[in-house]
Amino acid sequence: MDLKDFRHLMNRDCMSIGVHPCRVTAMVLKVFFPSCCSSADSGILIGRWISEQNSAVILAVVHFPFIPVQVKQYLGEVQRVTKVSVSVLGSWSNSKQEKEESLSEFLEDLGTIFCHEPWIQISKEGDSKFWSCSILQKHSKNPQEEEIILVYYDQRKVMLSHLHPPLDTAGQRAEDASKLSAIFDTVARSQVLFMTDRYDEGPIKLTHWQSDGVEASIIVELLKQASVPGCMLLTFLLSLLSGICRSRLLKFWPLSFLWSKLSTCEQLGHRLQHLQVISSNKKAQNQNQLMRKANIFVSLLIDVALGILLMSWLYRKNRIGHLADTLIPVADHVAEELQDLLQWLMGAPAGLKMNRALDQVLGRFFLYHIHLWISYIHLLSPFIEMILWYVGLSACLGLTVALCILSDIIELLTFHIYCFYVYGARLYCLKIYGLSSLWRLFRGKKWNVLRQRVDSCSYDLDQLFIGTLLFTILLFLLPTTALYYLVFTLLRLLVVIVQGLIHLLVDLIDSLPLYSLILRLCRSYRLAAGVKFRVLEQQDGKPLRLLMQINPLSYGGVVQTYRLPTYSCYPRDSWASLCKKLFLGELIYPWKHKGDKQN
Amino acid sequence: MAPGSAQGAPAAGRSGPGMDGGGPAAHIVCMVSDFFYPNMGGVESHVYQLSQCLIERGHKVLVVTHAYGHRKGVRYLTSGLKVYYLPLKVMYNQSTATTLFHSLPLLRYIFVRERVTIVHAHSSFSAMAHDALFHAKTMGLRTVFTDHSLFGFADVSSVLTNKLLTVSLCDTNHIICVSYTSKENTVLRAALDPRIVSVIPNAVDPTDFTPDPSRRDDSTITIVVVSRLVYRKGIDLLSGIIPELCQKYPELHFLVGGEGPKRIVLEEVRERYQLHDRVRLLGGLEHQDVRNVLVQGHIFLNTSLTEAFCMAIVEAASCGLQVVSTRVGGIPEVLPENLIILCEPSVKSLCDGLEKAIAQLRSGTLPSPETVHNEVKTFYTWRNVAERTEKVYDRVADEVVLPMKERLDRLMTHCGPVTGCIFAFFAVLNFLLLTFLRWMTPDSIIDVAIDATGPKGAWTKQYFFGKKRRVKEELPNS
Amino acid sequence: MAEERRFLSASGVPIALRRRQHSASCRELAVRGPRLQLRSLSAATSAVWLAAYGLFALCENSMVLSAAIFITLIGLIIYLHFVKVDQESLLVIGSLGIQVTSAYASGKESTTFIEMGQVKDVVINEAIHMQKVIYYLCILLQDPEDPQGVSEVVPLFQSSKPRLDCLIEVYKSCQEILEQRKTAP
Repeated sequence: MDLKDFRHLMNRDCMSIGVHPCRVTAMVLKVFFPSCCSSADSGILIGRWISEQNSAVILAVVHFPFIPVQVKQYLGEVQRVTKVSVSVLGSWSNSKQEKEESLSEFLEDLGTIFCHEPWIQISKEGDSKFWSCSILQKHSKNPQEEEIILVYYDQRKVMLSHLHPPLDTAGQRAEDASKLSAIFDTVARSQVLFMTDRYDEGPIKLTHWQSDGVEASIIVELLKQASVPGCMLLTFLLSLLSGICRSRLLKFWPLSFLWSKLSTCEQLGHRLQHLQVISSNKKAQNQNQLMRKANIFVSLLIDVALGILLMSWLYRKNRIGHLADTLIPVADHVAEELQDLLQWLMGAPAGLKMNRALDQVLGRFFLYHIHLWISYIHLLSPFIEMILWYVGLSACLGLTVALCILSDIIELLTFHIYCFYVYGARLYCLKIYGLSSLWRLFRGKKWNVLRQRVDSCSYDLDQLFIGTLLFTILLFLLPTTALYYLVFTLLRLLVVIVQGLIHLLVDLIDSLPLYSLILRLCRSYRLAAGVKFRVLEQQDGKPLRLLMQINPLSYGGVVQTYRLPTYSCYPRDSWASLCKKLFLGELIYPWKHKGDKQN
Repeated sequence: MAPGSAQGAPAAGRSGPGMDGGGPAAHIVCMVSDFFYPNMGGVESHVYQLSQCLIERGHKVLVVTHAYGHRKGVRYLTSGLKVYYLPLKVMYNQSTATTLFHSLPLLRYIFVRERVTIVHAHSSFSAMAHDALFHAKTMGLRTVFTDHSLFGFADVSSVLTNKLLTVSLCDTNHIICVSYTSKENTVLRAALDPRIVSVIPNAVDPTDFTPDPSRRDDSTITIVVVSRLVYRKGIDLLSGIIPELCQKYPELHFLVGGEGPKRIVLEEVRERYQLHDRVRLLGGLEHQDVRNVLVQGHIFLNTSLTEAFCMAIVEAASCGLQVVSTRVGGIPEVLPENLIILCEPSVKSLCDGLEKAIAQLRSGTLPSPETVHNEVKTFYTWRNVAERTEKVYDRVADEVVLPMKERLDRLMTHCGPVTGCIFAFFAVLNFLLLTFLRWMTPDSIIDVAIDATGPKGAWTKQYFFGKKRRVKEELPNS
Repeated sequence: MAEERRFLSASGVPIALRRRQHSASCRELAVRGPRLQLRSLSAATSAVWLAAYGLFALCENSMVLSAAIFITLIGLIIYLHFVKVDQESLLVIGSLGIQVTSAYASGKESTTFIEMGQVKDVVINEAIHMQKVIYYLCILLQDPEDPQGVSEVVPLFQSSKPRLDCLIEVYKSCQEILEQRKTAP
């Protein structure tokens, strides 16, 4: 879809719109009304007036009878705690029967006690869905009819939900950000207001959303208290562990090199960091950090659970032994296949006629390597089962660690393929390099290192002769080397692809924000992408009624927002550059090593 | 205003002459070329300037080209010139790859929605232009082609291109060349009837190229070269001239503007003879910077090996420089003899020419830049080009487009037995594809584009003076 | 309050535009595409099954048949749930914003609400789309840094792609309400 490109369409019809006789309409006043208050008894409406948006966010209804002074005191207290300018916005009358003419006058009088501009009067008659709503403006100069929109909202959902993308700096920024976030902010910050219980015997009776799960929250509170010492212990252990890891002893050259090449170590370090994040007793500053902690916790939990499941499967029925028994023959078999392949290459592979001498030399060289390899494997074979048994224990640290160990084992067992690949690639690279520079000589050019460009240059006859001779020799030897290079590169690519798949799986487990996904599934309103409105039934003469619902974030959005960072970097080079590298004979590494190299 | 009346305007334009109370018919012209802004060059500015002048004369003009990077879709340029940047793959040298068929759906859609009456293709290097000609003929629209370049006859690539050009032009209504040499060349290459070939030279905007002698440094002599640094422009000749003249005249300076693969040749010359302070390579120039480079020099040197119409020497002469140029292609026609020194395309002849110019400069016999400018500015103007092009359009509008049968006959008799038959077969295939497209999306459900230019354009000049005034003018309408 | 008019889409399919005036500053415009035809559905299904039977006759593996049933079912679900859009509607509320809803054939609705503060304008635009040059309606979003700039373009009626006459109708309706916003202090 090529819709990104756009251009104003300055057509005649667009322009003529401006000619329309514009109706003089007044500002529209929006009243956000909590749907839980729709059956409340008559009283006064308290909430926040957002003047720049001309909208009123109603938070609760105070019932009759009350003493105005006490209401004012109460509001002052709420304002102090929540830092939201809560005030009395208007009156609410819910007349079950068609009576109480005198009440309306009384309600108007209330406006003089709690002076607020404008004074909103909402009245509901019987069970009618259509409420009448009027605005009183005493001090305004132009008493014009204002249009009113009634927007119902679910107080609980709006309070608990978090708008995405989340604002970085809370507080003053929220005011000027956007209309919706101001409303969400207002409701969320007046949480204190909702804490007062319906059955409290206070001087003021309020109707608003009531939280039911007080008992559950007590249990949560207890758990929180109990987890503090646990976390402290964990932190201590972790700091000890990371201290050991950081000790000078492990920093010497061969060891540090080895650590960086083994993906198991990387994964363990990564998990260590995660544990540190979880157990740190610093309070999460904002929603994002909180979610991050929860996500890490859940992913760690699931990882370990899967690991233990794997372990319980492995240690039953002597599966380890079977595995060890099959591993050695497989390695042997691979080596034999390679030997056959080399024999084939040393003959006339696929009917190609190779340079016999070079072919024999290369083939013998590789055959000797395989011979070395086989003897090494046989030396190792008595200990394989024991090694596997101990390695299998590491699965209790998590499935990801087990997978990383698997990847490392594959790496170690295919070390000969790696060696072959490196030899082949180096040889091939050298030839290509030589050929390209001799080709330049051939054309009377040379590479200027200082200026990074190709200059023209006049060579002597001797130089040209030698160069041409070398060029021909290299060119005719190229196919032999290229064939060896091609075969071993394909083998290497196979291993790299298998390892890559394992790492992809590890990354998936590491980075999937499981907690957020579960939250999205069960409590979709908690993660809001925005809101949506539904137009409710209309009646002439009554204000427009809208229902504000929360538009949950899509699953893709959840994953994108809360994805946990992984340690392994994917190769940044594209397919084209990979192919170019393969063609030029530069070494390609499995994905993780690539990242190490760049760091 | 009802949408119907907005759509009514182009529909009426299609109904033929006499719509504006007896005045000349307004054409709806579709310029097709691979080369257009933001690419820079002679063809590009030709298409742009011609379109602007035609819009000024009350025609509706749109430009179709291929996408340049992120610039794709529909854009509007000054005075509502609508440009379609089509998402076609670029193959080589900004020219699109062609299969002769794949561009038909989009081009047909554009021709139908804009109610195009004349398709004007530019440049024989542009594959898209040839495609558009082919499709326009299949759809029964009138076609005009402008050739901007000269070709040889000898090498294999020229033989092939000439054959294709023969096929492409044998049933085109009219062909425009930029110089008489170019006309001769084109008539020979494409085996055309010379009567349907007109010569309309290129033009320069003289107000953009005014002399400014104060910018010159009169203690030295500066030779300016502004061209793309490619083989065709004779850069190898230039690399021979520079050391020879620099040795002879110590006060001589060279100023070279332009970019290209041959830049390395000049750099090497500069390094070998240590002329870093005397030969300045400016690199690629924006069009608006060209004048500022030109006015710094005394002599303009053009070393082209082939050229249909050299705009660069007109621009240089308009800036008041003495022009030294090779005698190739249409160059001798461009400027009168007192303004130009013509040489053979060899190092020796060009050096002689330059020495003659330097001698004239030293003796002060050269005319002043102002007088040269005043003389040149009357020669070539875009308004004149547009007027002459309009006459071609008027003539073409009265002609009939060959029906399918005659077109096939023409192809087979005109282009040789093998090529003719192949392309006749392609023409039939193209027609079948068009019939299929017409069945898939009939012309009736293609929305007519809102007209931006032309006599009843939505983007009239007043729009730019502000909306307020415009609304007032619209009032009686609505 | 509600009025319905018939139009054509850019590919020649009949569509219906329904305009509903909820109040002076609240208007809903819904474009309803054609319903899923039983004919095309059965044609697609039978084509897949015939191909499967052909394969079955060739290789005599009953896996092919079960796979065909599976593919048809999955394909139908995906088509109804993610591809086939029944109705696209635009709810313009003068002081609040613009809400864009598209309802899929399976009943899934995807909604985006754009606050009025973000809306710069609603315009008709041209684009090249699938070998066609079409007009489309889009909402220009205000760039928060630059009051003149446009940060994003939200195309409307992407799946039904109405023709210009329908778009002009919608455009005028939207502009009437947007004008109110501009005249308001």
